[in-house]
Amino acid sequence: MSDTHKAAPMVDEVSDFEILEMAVRELAIEKGLFSAEDHRRWIEYVHTLGPLPAARLAAKAWLDPDFKKLAVADGVKASLAVGIDWINGPPTKFGTPSDYCSFRVLEDTPKVKHVVVCTLCSCYPRTILGQSPEWYRTPNYRRRLVRWPRQVLAEFGLQLAADVEIRVVDSNQKTRYMVLPLRPIGTEGWSEQQLTEIVTRDCLIGVAMPQPGVTSNAKRPVHPAVHPIHAGH
Amino acid sequence: MPSPSRSALMRHFDLVGQLQPAYHQPQHAPYPDAIDHAKYRALLRSSHDVGGEPDVPIEWEEKEEEQWEANTFATCECLAWRGVWSAEERRRRQNVDVGETQYLALPYYGRWLLSAARIIVDKQYVTLTELVNKIDEVKGRYEQKSAR
Amino acid sequence: MSKNQHDRAHHAKKASGVGDPQCFRGEAGQAKFKNGDMVRIRDLPDIFYTRCQVYTRGAVGRITKVVYESPAAEDEAWDNTDHPEWFYSVVFRQHELWPDYPASYKNDTLETEFSERWLEQA
Repeated sequence: MSDTHKAAPMVDEVSDFEILEMAVRELAIEKGLFSAEDHRRWIEYVHTLGPLPAARLAAKAWLDPDFKKLAVADGVKASLAVGIDWINGPPTKFGTPSDYCSFRVLEDTPKVKHVVVCTLCSCYPRTILGQSPEWYRTPNYRRRLVRWPRQVLAEFGLQLAADVEIRVVDSNQKTRYMVLPLRPIGTEGWSEQQLTEIVTRDCLIGVAMPQPGVTSNAKRPVHPAVHPIHAGH
Repeated sequence: MPSPSRSALMRHFDLVGQLQPAYHQPQHAPYPDAIDHAKYRALLRSSHDVGGEPDVPIEWEEKEEEQWEANTFATCECLAWRGVWSAEERRRRQNVDVGETQYLALPYYGRWLLSAARIIVDKQYVTLTELVNKIDEVKGRYEQKSAR
Repeated sequence: MSKNQHDRAHHAKKASGVGDPQCFRGEAGQAKFKNGDMVRIRDLPDIFYTRCQVYTRGAVGRITKVVYESPAAEDEAWDNTDHPEWFYSVVFRQHELWPDYPASYKNDTLETEFSERWLEQA
């Protein structure tokens, strides 16, 4: 934790947000708007979500040209191959309320590099990628990526040749996107598992490119929570 | 005099960046003829529509999720699951109706939470009186705890 | 004043096992535009809510995909779901969106979605 972060407050101090959160949840349950079981189920469902299925989808697409064609043509159908049912997977059985069932896989080529943002809020393909990173939600990223993409990508460590088409995709409506990055050289003969490991969350958003030996997102400062999620959740 | 530490210097730069000149309008609630098309558009802008606005490079950070944030997300999705609102109604309320000041000055999940509180009152599932009393009651539980 | 009646079961009934936006299939009628069409983004009055970004208004782009039918966000945000529209994915050249976009990055593009009301033939 760097000097610029505030000192941790006393552990038993409860914030106005925590008080309001309890009040709203208790009232909603009391009034029958949703049940305590519904809420528990949703928390558990969110716990099942993460970037692994999307990474596997990328690895499969690299290994099988027909699957790649399907992924680009019908992302929802292709997701089934990695165990993600956009419609029936979530407890609602009609997709998640916030992330719907319109999923597109954006295929990078040597000439085209995609990168995703939601300028209006922070829409993100949680169903196949898990929760969005904090920086993705910032007004800063949302302001700048659409207009100064090369500067923002350079800050993430990515610089591309001037004649490459950088396509910023602004997910402003119901479609959710993942990037299918270029398969790097040095991965010839790799298994699906080995390929999956180098497709990080940052690669799937488009701010990083897969590299042999790189199996996690770039190190960044982590703002700690005052009352983080309970162990076991 | 000892030289300032590097981190104290970085804090100094942050603070200095907050000192900005500003021309404030002396009259609140101006006369209509003071508002031209450009000002009208700016005042009615949807606060969430920030794409293309200038901003400065920052250090990109991750954040550990608070338990209350995870709970808030589940509450908002359950309210939509069970038909109290749609995600689009939530976004309209949470990202625009809150207004420019709250939009920029509240934490991200603070707006989710306030919008969940607002929807159950707006759609008359709960009266504001009930909400106020419940908040007061929950507060009281924690005041009792720290009084021990 | 009486309490409003809200049908909380409506969307679940309509979309269960089907998905959203799939549940709106067939409700938008004939699509006005198709893949490859050049369109200009209309600058409709911006009041209360929109998901048509101001940075796209008046710009000309090319439709790359006719994506789905759905109520426009401006209507769905008030639970007015009776008149779905066709939605389109449109690609713009960055140097046409931003006057100061560096000329050396001449191939850069931006893609985003619009409901039909926001588009006119260019």
